[in-house]
Amino acid sequence: MKNKINIYLIEYAINSILRQKAKNFFIVFVFILLIFLLTSIFFITNSIKYELETTVDSLPQIIVQKIKAGRQYDIDENVVDQLIKIEGVKDVVSRVWGYYYFANAGVNFSIVGLNEYENQYKNSFKKIIQNVELEKGNTSFMVMGQGVQKVLNENYYDKYFNFIRPNGTLKKVNFAGTFDADTELESNDVIVVSKDTFRDIFDMDENKATDIVVKVSNPKEISMIASKIKLIYPDTRVITSDDLKVSYQNIFDYKSGVFLAIFIISLFTFFIIIYDKSSGLTSEEKREIGILKAIGWKIDDVLKEKFYESFIISSFSYIFGVGLSFIYVYIFHAPLLQNIFTGYSQLKTSFELPFIFDIQTLFLVFFLSVPSYIGATIIPSWRIATLEADEVIR
Amino acid sequence: MILSPEILAILILDFIFIFFAIIAFILSIKIFLGWDANSTTKKQYRLEKQSFLTAIIIKYIFIVKVPLFLFFIFTLDKMSNVIIGAMCAAGVVDATPYGIYLFIFKIMNLYFFGYWLVIHNEDIKYETQPYTRLKFGIFIGIFFLFIVELILEWLMFSSINIDKMVSCCGTLYSSSSTSSISIIFHINKTLLLSIFYGNFLFIYIFYLLRKKYLFVIANILFILTAISSLIVFFGTYIYELPTHHCPFCFLQSDYYYVGYLIYTLLFIGTFYGIITGFVEKSKGNKIENYKISVIFNFLYVILVSLYPIIFYIKNGVWL
Repeated sequence: MKNKINIYLIEYAINSILRQKAKNFFIVFVFILLIFLLTSIFFITNSIKYELETTVDSLPQIIVQKIKAGRQYDIDENVVDQLIKIEGVKDVVSRVWGYYYFANAGVNFSIVGLNEYENQYKNSFKKIIQNVELEKGNTSFMVMGQGVQKVLNENYYDKYFNFIRPNGTLKKVNFAGTFDADTELESNDVIVVSKDTFRDIFDMDENKATDIVVKVSNPKEISMIASKIKLIYPDTRVITSDDLKVSYQNIFDYKSGVFLAIFIISLFTFFIIIYDKSSGLTSEEKREIGILKAIGWKIDDVLKEKFYESFIISSFSYIFGVGLSFIYVYIFHAPLLQNIFTGYSQLKTSFELPFIFDIQTLFLVFFLSVPSYIGATIIPSWRIATLEADEVIR
Repeated sequence: MILSPEILAILILDFIFIFFAIIAFILSIKIFLGWDANSTTKKQYRLEKQSFLTAIIIKYIFIVKVPLFLFFIFTLDKMSNVIIGAMCAAGVVDATPYGIYLFIFKIMNLYFFGYWLVIHNEDIKYETQPYTRLKFGIFIGIFFLFIVELILEWLMFSSINIDKMVSCCGTLYSSSSTSSISIIFHINKTLLLSIFYGNFLFIYIFYLLRKKYLFVIANILFILTAISSLIVFFGTYIYELPTHHCPFCFLQSDYYYVGYLIYTLLFIGTFYGIITGFVEKSKGNKIENYKISVIFNFLYVILVSLYPIIFYIKNGVWL
């Protein structure tokens, strides 16, 4: 009987909350706001993380870069022939790519050089190659993402674009089309040209490449092959897709962790307010406790009633706040807050946040809000409960 | 140190715990030294009031601690994605020298806090509060264990190195491993199973005979036999894989989180079994604890036994 929940006590607690509308309304309002903000941040990170992880799966399994004096340099093309000899390697492709700074609009384009006859390391590129013939006679062509086209059109380039070579001369490249919109996250700022055009624009050697991509037949062998490559070429940096995944999780854990660390301060401030609010009693409340004790309520009963009160307030705010952030993030796609994570670049991708239902996030927010709220009310409740009946009523 | 939101949340709650536990600890010492139920002094009156605060703080810590423990395991599972080589919580626990002790302390403290609550509930039933001195004395002891747990938790989270390679559960829980756990793999399976079922039978017999202390001992032994048989035998049927013995992996979604159910049943069963020896229940519900203990232990036995039986029905062979 001791452990059963007393329904009348809950009813009393609800009425007691409603009796002090103004005071409790303020608490609930601020609490909902805090929970809403916290949950939204976690929802956004989860969605972006999910989006990136699916992107990582389509990225190359191993990337080999040449490192010289701690900086990345162009790698020799003939490394490809050595790497293909390693057991378990399915395919090796050298890549040429880089960034081109377009000063007029103040943006960086990612430029990728492709050759028609080579095996493509990315499915989306394969499609492009099939749709557009990159080399038509001597004129060079380029295929670009939707964002790039928009920026160029705004700067009055609608048929061709003049790249500036390192020596200051111009390289004219004609437009040949744009990418499909469904690859926006990865290709918004991308320009695809032929390898020859790329080398022409950036004045790069014929037998050099930016980095080398290795495909492995059995995904479980990736780390083994990566260590073999490192042994053969000690001057390289070997990046596997798992490395990328781990660093993504770290980056986003770090971002939301930093946010949380800042958030704690506001949470802490809030609890000081709660502590203060629930300690200060009006004479009416004091009389109420006095009457309750006079009609036979024990200290334990008052404590229990106060516990129900704070539990009802905190779980109501929790449910309401989480519900609100569901609507905000997944229906309205989190205006404003999304920018914290996606940055402010002009060529910023605008993508939809995929719906990820993660129970752990809900638990996480629950542990941060409800127990700490109840914790903040423990000592004030005890103070109230141990008031002397005769002193208060007198 | 990994600054992940989950770990931060756990550490924040730890901080709140320490704050309240210290208050409770100081009050406990005062009450333990100065309590005199017969005196009518002002001091005794004040102590009585403070005992309510102490009790509610300890209750609060326990109520938050239970779900937080599950969340802790959940977090370890998630961290296993980041740490190289770890596939489940076992690898993360093994990643630092503190992991295994932290785990032992966490489980032990759950039992102690639960025990404290039962004494407390018994105590406030009487007007004279006969156990008050005892329960606060016990809390002084629990406090130190609890602080050790929190320090270990801090040490563990701050010393985890994500670049260091750790062992996965497949190697930790195998007969070839050199750790102390490998001893149980050398026990004959049939022998271990007969000990396990025999142990449960003893619990039932002692329940019928109402032999308090034998019942407690049988329950303590049941924790050990249950966990070792789970690692050696039943686990392999949950995974349907003869080589996988990990006691953590079935906490993951691939096995429908069945581990949480398994361990909860085992905890409730043995907990109520053990406290029968330490708390004098008031008349009327004297055998209630016995009953709860036997029922939950029985459910545990049924649950883990179902896995091999269903496997046999489906496939017609034993692993």
